[in-house]
Amino acid sequence: MAPAKSSTGGKDMYSVILPTFNERQNLPIITWLLNRTFTEQNLDWELVIVDDGSPDGTQEVAAQLVKAYSPHVQLRPRTGKLGLGTAYVHGLKFAKGNYIVIMDADFSHHPKFIPQMIKKMKEGDYDIVTGTRYAGDGGVYGWDLKRKLTSKGANIFADTVLRPGVSDLTGSFRLYKRAVLEKLFESTDARGFTMQMALAVTAKAKGYSIGEVPISFVDRVYGDSKLGGEEIVEYAKGVLQLWWSI
Amino acid sequence: MTRAQQTISLALLVTSLYLSLYLGLIPLPAVVQEDIIPVLPFWSLVTFGAWLLFRLGWGMLTFRDTPEAYAELMDEIKLAKADLRVKGVDVD
Repeated sequence: MAPAKSSTGGKDMYSVILPTFNERQNLPIITWLLNRTFTEQNLDWELVIVDDGSPDGTQEVAAQLVKAYSPHVQLRPRTGKLGLGTAYVHGLKFAKGNYIVIMDADFSHHPKFIPQMIKKMKEGDYDIVTGTRYAGDGGVYGWDLKRKLTSKGANIFADTVLRPGVSDLTGSFRLYKRAVLEKLFESTDARGFTMQMALAVTAKAKGYSIGEVPISFVDRVYGDSKLGGEEIVEYAKGVLQLWWSI
Repeated sequence: MTRAQQTISLALLVTSLYLSLYLGLIPLPAVVQEDIIPVLPFWSLVTFGAWLLFRLGWGMLTFRDTPEAYAELMDEIKLAKADLRVKGVDVD
């Protein structure tokens, strides 16, 4: 599937959509890292921050970043915690690029892998390139044994039930061709944190090609992890729902 | 075809194949018919469970830790904070 031209003309442009909730500490640094990576690689880029009414001052910092990194950063806030999936859809409305990067705003996803993903996509003309923690020299820092067991167990469960052909199904560090992401949003109803899985499985079902790049995932430098028993149940339900519907 | 449809179709196929063996519709040596066929489902389940456990254990053994990435990130954060302050952005 040939990529469409970006709305800025003939050149490629990379839009990073970053949903945020209480990321006041992380946001400036991730923006700095993105700016450095894209500038070093001489790539046209933008950052769309979708903040769900964070009470910790995230939007104030975002406004400062809009000024400091003008014209690359835009802030598109929402009034409340409306969820990850709809945040991506909202962000996509304002993104101008023909390639979209989805990633987390804490430092678990390092922008330095974006050029590798871009290269991989061009090499294989993949529709999607996803970062993987479980293949090649991908890895994680900051996980104890229990967390590793949970994560690997969850991955094996999803892999067995869904057989998606992707080594890291719950990973959310991805590069998409814009048209592919738009098509996937149209055909997927899943909007919770299981949306990342749904996107990958739906993509596979529709015959899109997915490439992988090993990434190192540094967990939660600031802030607490949001993984509890409730999330695990929701995850299992999400996997089974996908199994049934896709 | 959904994953569910695929899995269920395959399960039905395997079940009917197994039933045809169990009910003796295909002539087999007595040893196979009496000692092996009846325990096959149980044996498959245990093997499958063992395979999953093996995958989990193997994953734990080969799990890559990346302390270098963490160290690199800490340095970058320091650099970033200094630069951001100059640009007028609030950082801790």
